[in-house]
Amino acid sequence: MDEFAPVEETYKIAPEIGPLGHTEFLEGIHLEPAPIEMSGVCKSYEEGRQALADISLRIEKGKFVYLLGPNGAGKTTLFRLLYAAEGLTRGELRVNGYELHRLKNRQVPHLRRSLGIVFQDLKLIPRWTVFENVSFALRVLGRKKREIAEKASQALQKVGLNGKGHFTPDRLSAGEQQRAAIARAIVNEPALLLADEPTGNIDVRTAEDIVRLFEEINRGGTTVLFGTHDEGLAAFLPKERVVLEQGRIVESTLDPALPGPTAA
Amino acid sequence: MGFYFRQAGQNLVQNFGMNALTLGTITFAFLIFGLFGIVAHNARALMEEWGGRIRVTAYLADSVPAEGANRLREQIGALEEVQAVSFRSKEEALKTLEGKLAIRTGLLKGLSRNPLPASFEIQLKPPFRDKEGVDRLAAKLKGISEIADLQYGAEWIERFSAFLVLLQVLGAGMSALLLLTTFLIVAHMIRLNIFSRREEIEVMRAVGATSFFIRAPFYLEGIFQGLAGAGLAWAGLYGLYQLFLIQVYDPLKVLLGNFPLRFLPWEYSAGFIVGGVLLGILGTRVAAGRYAGV
Repeated sequence: MDEFAPVEETYKIAPEIGPLGHTEFLEGIHLEPAPIEMSGVCKSYEEGRQALADISLRIEKGKFVYLLGPNGAGKTTLFRLLYAAEGLTRGELRVNGYELHRLKNRQVPHLRRSLGIVFQDLKLIPRWTVFENVSFALRVLGRKKREIAEKASQALQKVGLNGKGHFTPDRLSAGEQQRAAIARAIVNEPALLLADEPTGNIDVRTAEDIVRLFEEINRGGTTVLFGTHDEGLAAFLPKERVVLEQGRIVESTLDPALPGPTAA
Repeated sequence: MGFYFRQAGQNLVQNFGMNALTLGTITFAFLIFGLFGIVAHNARALMEEWGGRIRVTAYLADSVPAEGANRLREQIGALEEVQAVSFRSKEEALKTLEGKLAIRTGLLKGLSRNPLPASFEIQLKPPFRDKEGVDRLAAKLKGISEIADLQYGAEWIERFSAFLVLLQVLGAGMSALLLLTTFLIVAHMIRLNIFSRREEIEVMRAVGATSFFIRAPFYLEGIFQGLAGAGLAWAGLYGLYQLFLIQVYDPLKVLLGNFPLRFLPWEYSAGFIVGGVLLGILGTRVAAGRYAGV
């Protein structure tokens, strides 16, 4: 068994009232794992601060979901759990089929290769050109030079930066830098795109353009989790939403999470 | 693989100042270590040569006839400690003395007879070229009645040997301390180098780079610096050796019996290369653990 492969499980739902309001018994049905499944996830720190409490949600493939909440609500902590930058204190968390509550260190790179991540502070490498920043994700995967060139160019075109690949980040505007970071996140065509406050440092007009860009990416089949504190932005382009406050979900338009898997 | 080398090359150029300092530190340390090595190597060689000059001279009684001298020579040659025996007759001894006296040979003209005895010059085997070996042989020779007198002495060799051992121990100790200090400095500089690139490393980790992918360029940098430092030190040592040889040693070597000053043997030179590579690898290993791991 390839220990780096995501886990696929057969869900068995006991004969009780299910989420659709009637008795269901779906033993033996193989359900494709959702990109994100969380059950009772908690995150506490040593000093006793609880950043997340009892988070349960399931984001289906192809969804565009806003993760809303004020600063300090726990959005960034949740993102960091999703790409295994931090470990959870309690609960179960599955991302693209990887069980993060049991993930070994050597599996983390493989998890991250299945994701696209747009950081709040962009994390573009200043001494590299935009093209080098974008293509780096493919170099890490060991792709051939021709493929790297092709896909990086496509990604830059998609975000509207074709012709600027040879610039270093300092020569781009804030919005263009944001687009470069998005291009890097999508260049390896990930199934799931995580964006933590991608519009935090730009003006409203540019932010709206960025949201539209994410929508376009989502229309291509990529699941998007878009973190923002800006309710206005979420209202500009309404989508599914999960609202965090003091580490708890206070509002969600998602279907309630299905019960976790039991032994087949 | 080419990517790792390119990254390492870019990193070396980008942090040129810090890398130059690291390289200089490694070069200096290996230079000092090499100097101790050359001194130790030559001192040992000198000891071996001087050890080879240890002789026991056995003077024969005047009454010993020629046939007796031959039989005695075979007897002494058969002893365990003896490598070679050469006989010098009374006449040869007188000739040698005349040669040494040079313009003062007139002093010998008044002699009515040759007062010099015949003698055996006895050379010892290498394992016995010390005070203990000499004393052992002397005790055996003293038991031979035809031998009137013995001349030998290994105390000076013992003292010099002890001095050399002390020098080697001090040299090894100081070299070890120096290398340890260099290792710590190099590891610290590599850590600073890695720290200055922590954002890059974070991005690499975020896009799914493995530990090996992140660390490989740093290891290559470390190996290059270790190799380059050791190589520069070796070249510097050779240059100093040639300079010293020509300017200082050659005019004075007669004082050391024309002993040929040697450069590092090939094993030491190979050790330089291996040492440089190891220093680079270990220094990176220690420095990289905190920042480059997943």
